[in-house]
Amino acid sequence: MKSNLTRYLTLFLALVLTLTLAACGKTGDTGGPSKEGDKAGDIDISEFVTISHLSLGDKPSNGQYEAVKAEWDKYLKEKLNCALEVQYIGWTDYMTQYNLLLATGEGLDLINTASDWLEMWPNAQRGAFLELNDLLPKYAPITWETVPESSWAEVTFKGDIIAIPEDMYSQWINHGYMYRGDWAREIGITKPIRSWEEFQVYLQGVKDLYGDQGVIPFDIAGASNMKQLYDGWTISKSSLICIDPVPDGLAFGKSDDEWWEVRSRYYPLDDGTDLLLDFAKEMKEWGDAGYWREDVLNNTADSWVQFKAGLNGTRQHHTQTYVYAYKELEREIPGADLQFFPWCEESKNLTKMSITHGATAVGAKCKNPERALMVYDLIRNDETMYKLFNWGLEGVQYVINDKGQRDLPEGYITDQHSFSSNFWGGRMDKFELKYPNATMVDNWEEIYNNFESYAKPYRYGRFVFDKSPVESELAALSDVVNRHLPAICVGKAGDPVAAVEAFRRELKMAGYDKVLEEVQRQLTEFKNSL
Amino acid sequence: MKGKIRNIVKKRTLLFMCIPAIVFFFIFSYLPMPGVWLAFVRFNYRDGIFGSPFVGLENFRFLILSRQLWNLTRNTILYNVAFIITGNILQITVAILFNEMAGRRLRIYKKVSQSIMFLPYFISAVVIGVFAYNLLNVQTGFINSILKQAGRSTVNFYSIPGLWPFIIVLAYLWQSTGYGSIVYFAAIMGIDSEMMEASEIDGANAFQRIRYIILPCLKPTFVILLLFALGGIMKGNFGLFYNLTGANNMALFETTDIIETFVFRSLNVNFNFSMGSAVGLYQSLFGFVLVMTVNTIVKKIEPDYSLF
Repeated sequence: MKSNLTRYLTLFLALVLTLTLAACGKTGDTGGPSKEGDKAGDIDISEFVTISHLSLGDKPSNGQYEAVKAEWDKYLKEKLNCALEVQYIGWTDYMTQYNLLLATGEGLDLINTASDWLEMWPNAQRGAFLELNDLLPKYAPITWETVPESSWAEVTFKGDIIAIPEDMYSQWINHGYMYRGDWAREIGITKPIRSWEEFQVYLQGVKDLYGDQGVIPFDIAGASNMKQLYDGWTISKSSLICIDPVPDGLAFGKSDDEWWEVRSRYYPLDDGTDLLLDFAKEMKEWGDAGYWREDVLNNTADSWVQFKAGLNGTRQHHTQTYVYAYKELEREIPGADLQFFPWCEESKNLTKMSITHGATAVGAKCKNPERALMVYDLIRNDETMYKLFNWGLEGVQYVINDKGQRDLPEGYITDQHSFSSNFWGGRMDKFELKYPNATMVDNWEEIYNNFESYAKPYRYGRFVFDKSPVESELAALSDVVNRHLPAICVGKAGDPVAAVEAFRRELKMAGYDKVLEEVQRQLTEFKNSL
Repeated sequence: MKGKIRNIVKKRTLLFMCIPAIVFFFIFSYLPMPGVWLAFVRFNYRDGIFGSPFVGLENFRFLILSRQLWNLTRNTILYNVAFIITGNILQITVAILFNEMAGRRLRIYKKVSQSIMFLPYFISAVVIGVFAYNLLNVQTGFINSILKQAGRSTVNFYSIPGLWPFIIVLAYLWQSTGYGSIVYFAAIMGIDSEMMEASEIDGANAFQRIRYIILPCLKPTFVILLLFALGGIMKGNFGLFYNLTGANNMALFETTDIIETFVFRSLNVNFNFSMGSAVGLYQSLFGFVLVMTVNTIVKKIEPDYSLF
């Protein structure tokens, strides 16, 4: 018995070890060079290469990606003797995955990046991107010609262009609450909701009307969504503007007129308004009233799925999401009439989109930067390629209807037919508006124009925040913010006064004042350099 | 020298069998060791680990800045102590019970129960987190549904920090007992059967056999496992804690926050390899010192039981 057991155990261990080692030895296949000696102008493209595009988002698992890819590969083979593959980074822990991939840099060609949500500047600082100055005029000539000087300046790091901005695409990504128009009317809300107080009336109404049937007025889940409520409150109740390059909402500009004055939204403001405390009290009230689940901090429900099932009354996201969500919801719940309360409405505190909310960079270790840029130039400026890469196959993913709009084909089923490359670093109005999307809410132009009428320019697109002098403080503060803020945001931190006080005390201990000083110093420097 | 070579030749089969393990540890434990240098530099991709500027102990500073280090270290160590003590007691008990299940009729029962106990070991912590949430949540949880049916008031488990040390230890035991008991079961199997027979002839009953033969024979196994466990006493089981208690449930942090979850919170946004390495080094050094100390003590008392 004993010897048998030992023998099996040894065998098992040996097997495990061999398998582990074998797994390490796996090598990816490399596409062999093509025999054809194509040439595009005086550029040598005789060698067949595969270019990768790093996209954020979950890979379509319905086989449509492969189908569309086959089509654009045919086109690219003919045009540039290359293939293009999308490397998807799933939404779960995307930031960690993204930075890890950029850290190794292996096999990355085109990379989706962004100054405000994908750490474009920190990654440029770490040397993750290739300098494009000399390559652009030759290999992406149309892009080089059409992007104005001022836009190139927005993607220049220490004198080098490190990315191509998405500067010719209009979208609004200001957040707010989406709610059901039909329920609002039932409650007696006739005008569009434009303040937090009115919104509370809606939440209470939903609770009273449908609470017994298992409807949760605001089924919120996940810490980042909770923290976003405070972003909303800040926008609605003050003129502060977020300085995005500083993480965790630690630093804000005082107002558009004095954007170079650093303020904190966690401390009381100059005029004595205590944003955080007011917010904490309000949210405690909301939490106690049962607008969300009692164990909301551990909730993992998908609020949009719940919403579409008629079990949730609120979805928190941005304008761009809303304009597409309207008709999606109508398909599930006809007559639901999704409405949108953008947080900026209350105070008209809105900045325009940064043109580096989306940008495309080239990996520092890219083996074929020439071809990568040629592919990019084609996606951005060639209608056939643009449509393939962004919209998919005509007749499967979209059709152009008789009004000239881009519409869903007959018999389109999202699960079976949807495809997205998530190319967010160079979409173009010239194609998007040529075939306006029929799946957008009908009054999208009105919504955009309204924002356009009062939005202020974005000031911090080129502000590169050098974290290194306060790196330890930022790490410590990140812990403090992530420990305290989510609970405060859903009113589950106990007495709001005590919770805010404890939060502030810990912020101070972790060196918050030093960070604010440092941001101020660098921002003054930045302002003087303009 | 000659003797050594002769020794190697003589034990070539045994040595050959060791090769996979040696290769494994060399690749995964010794080769990356120079990488601890990462903890002392301000890392950037382009210059690499050894080219980046040296910053001394700067990367350790955020641990102290947060003023949580004591609380985190205490939680981590106490949880591990609880895991080691309760885990080993339960594993030994289970192993002995299995051993006592002799006889043909019990064989199937024994095999089946052994397999069932072993299974949770393969379940990922994410799934355990989901199990726990479905058992414990207020609205639809299993326990609270029963309470509601019985007309009792519900319990919001996710807001009572005092309960969580028990819940976490229970989850840990559920997951690891089956696996751990195999080791002890194998050790019991290895006890010389002559001793057992002799005790039977002398008229010892089952309890006396356990007390005077099995338990003393398990002592070396226990000591070695304990020494191994001590090396990791500063390392928390991130998956289990993160998934059971949720990433941001501040109400529970007082009793559930461990070094790993703290590091995740601090560095998830501020992506920083160097600070991560600094924490790893702190944990490993602590474990190293502890193992060395305890090993020396063990060696003094009973040289045969020590690791080296």
